[in-house]
Amino acid sequence: MKNKNLSILLKGLLTENPVFVLILGTCPTLAISTNVIGAIGMGLAATAVLICSNFVISLLRKFIPDSVRIPCYIVIIAGFVTVVQMLMQAFLPELYDMLGVYLALITVNCIILGRAEMFAGKNGPVKSVLDGIGMGLGFTLALLCMATVREIIGAGSFAGIEIPFMKDYTISIFQKAPGGFMVYGFMIALVYAVTHGKAPRKKEFSCENCPSASLCSNCQKKEEA
Amino acid sequence: MKKYLRSIISLTAVCAIVALLMGVTNYFTAPIIKQRENDAANEALKVVLPDGEGFEKIDISKYTLPTTVDEAYSEKNGGYVFKMITAGYGSNFVIMCGIDSDGVVKGTKVISSSETLGVENEYGDKLVGVTVETVDGVDTVSGATKTTAAYKNAVKDALMSFDILGGKEVDIRDEAQILADKLNAALPQGEGKFSKEFISVRIDESVSAVYKAENGAGYVVVLGEIFVGVDSENKVVTADVDESTKTTATDTAKKLESVTLEELDITNLTALPKQIQKVFVTDEYNYVFEIRCAGYGIEGGNQWHPASGEYIFIKLSLDKENKIIDCITVSQGETDGIGSVCADESFYGQFAGKDKTNYSQIDAISGATITTNGYLKGVQAAFEAFEILNGEE
Amino acid sequence: MELFKSLIVIIMSSVLVNNYVLSRFLGICPFLGVSKKLNQAVGMGISVIFVMVVATLVTWPIQHYVLERFNLGYMQTIVFILVIATLVQFIEMLLKKMIPALHKSLGVYLPLITTNCAVLGVTIENVSELDYGFLESVVNSFGCGLGFLLAMVLFSGIRSKIDESQIPASFKGLPVTLIAASFVSLAFFGFAGIVENLFA
Repeated sequence: MKNKNLSILLKGLLTENPVFVLILGTCPTLAISTNVIGAIGMGLAATAVLICSNFVISLLRKFIPDSVRIPCYIVIIAGFVTVVQMLMQAFLPELYDMLGVYLALITVNCIILGRAEMFAGKNGPVKSVLDGIGMGLGFTLALLCMATVREIIGAGSFAGIEIPFMKDYTISIFQKAPGGFMVYGFMIALVYAVTHGKAPRKKEFSCENCPSASLCSNCQKKEEA
Repeated sequence: MKKYLRSIISLTAVCAIVALLMGVTNYFTAPIIKQRENDAANEALKVVLPDGEGFEKIDISKYTLPTTVDEAYSEKNGGYVFKMITAGYGSNFVIMCGIDSDGVVKGTKVISSSETLGVENEYGDKLVGVTVETVDGVDTVSGATKTTAAYKNAVKDALMSFDILGGKEVDIRDEAQILADKLNAALPQGEGKFSKEFISVRIDESVSAVYKAENGAGYVVVLGEIFVGVDSENKVVTADVDESTKTTATDTAKKLESVTLEELDITNLTALPKQIQKVFVTDEYNYVFEIRCAGYGIEGGNQWHPASGEYIFIKLSLDKENKIIDCITVSQGETDGIGSVCADESFYGQFAGKDKTNYSQIDAISGATITTNGYLKGVQAAFEAFEILNGEE
Repeated sequence: MELFKSLIVIIMSSVLVNNYVLSRFLGICPFLGVSKKLNQAVGMGISVIFVMVVATLVTWPIQHYVLERFNLGYMQTIVFILVIATLVQFIEMLLKKMIPALHKSLGVYLPLITTNCAVLGVTIENVSELDYGFLESVVNSFGCGLGFLLAMVLFSGIRSKIDESQIPASFKGLPVTLIAASFVSLAFFGFAGIVENLFA
């Protein structure tokens, strides 16, 4: 039993990493990965929302009727996002300014709604919280990887601390939008190369609950495989 | 039906719980957020008033402050910080000015500016320590006269606002406003629209200036500090003026009213300096010249301040002794804020009463040598033309 | 005239300079997922423009006349997402009843837009960071939607080329798509500065 819980926790970090393997939550991954501090802040904010929403939804899963499931989930998630927003504005104002509109947009981050739908709505609170921790940290880890590359190459620093040699040879495009797409592309290619393309093709992890599933080419490919 | 009811109830319940949660969080965080925002705003105010504490915004709509004041903050020790918006060389620029309880400027800072010269930041340090009495004594920076003058005036406005908020009666009108008010008081029929009259005849020496009502209602004759309104029927309308002053004023008005200018044909006078465009002669045989001078707009130009291609046009009258009666700049295309000073009365007003021996003894426009030289050449041309015209006759 | 100029500037800025997809990273999921075929890309783009404009028409008054008036600024996110979700549902039902032909071509895309962060993003930015007036907000939303459509259409053309090329195995699929997106985004850098000098 204990082992199983551990595996729930770990799969989010590695084998089912939401960003690199499940390709979820792409918007914040690209936008808030220009510096390490912001990436960690964003990751932890999303993790907090994910843990809370997973916990509450798994508690309420028997109470909420199926027909109004999704609206209830959205309300709960948006509520927690707002709570996190207010706390951050009060206690971490600099981070709040840095994340800007993307903080509010955690509400529509598919990782959170996806986990609510796929895991918390079907499992007990303990497992759901573990899943939330795992997925949230997986998201944070992915953001951190992206941000590390982009900040070191793009700004010659790490978490705001300048790296003596690198800061003279920065490629500032890595801080900008094209660098985000580029680094993300290479990261996913790396994951594909390491896993030989196996990991993302597992059907049960696909984003079939995403509203775009019927048209999404990523999703269709996975179903074919 | 039961199913629907359950859906509605559960959704409502979830919404209510979430709203409650948010409300509670907001209840605890809202004061902290407000405090933080206040602190952040105070930090900006502390830059210009380092000893200030407990800043509070003042509702300035209750006071009559100079129009440049945008926001005002008071602090515990009796000091104030003003946010001023003023027109500089380019578009608006915004400065903060901190004044302590003794009315001394403790710091100024440019918040946003599109000024081209970048001198305003250093200039701000010069203004630290001034009071409402000493602020006029700070020199503007040559080459950036308009910017620094605007800066200085904004600080002056802030100091005056300090006095107003402290309960003192302060005249917040600027010089142009004061003049307009005086003119209007002297001749209300003029309806507030006056223009300075160009003098082409010798008038009484005690008269320092004459303004004409644009609607033809009469003249305002200025004798030193006294403004005398003379209506179109040559009657003095200003009260409390003694008889001799009245007579001087009516004589002056009559003389100006009856001046006739006759244009001379100068097409055959090839010896006249090229600057002379038109020559008029009055019934008293005074000359009036329209002169075209080549200033910076023609002779100058560099990559920062391109030449406009425009001449300076001036109008100048000489009496029979070859002495300047009056001189005025009609139009110009000099660099805004530098050479354009030649259109200010403070510059061209210096020529009245000068003759060909001392006309160049004037205060040149700082930072605008080409403009000043071009202007002086134009004035010189008038003296030469006078001699040629008299020789011919 | 000044108003007209400022509206043109807003549109140019939101379509070219601050393109939601290519420089702001909003609406990436549909951008990557639905841009494979041109007709799908166009359908999705038009639906997004439509929903963005309608959502702004509704959320702007809510923010200014309800939330701010009753000091409920913190309810912004939750109210906006619910309004947008309800609105999309409502529009879909209305289209189905009133204009079945249009529903047939656009209807499938509408439910996808509920959780599109670009729509929530534009409504929030209009009332907070940008602090636009009503007309400006609507025009900005239209511009952002137009920028989304432009990015989708351009990218669908590029993707059809990618399908025909030889790509290293681990780059197949999403990685090469992202790298292509990176180049398109780089191309849009060329528009930087266009807005400042539009009426100079």
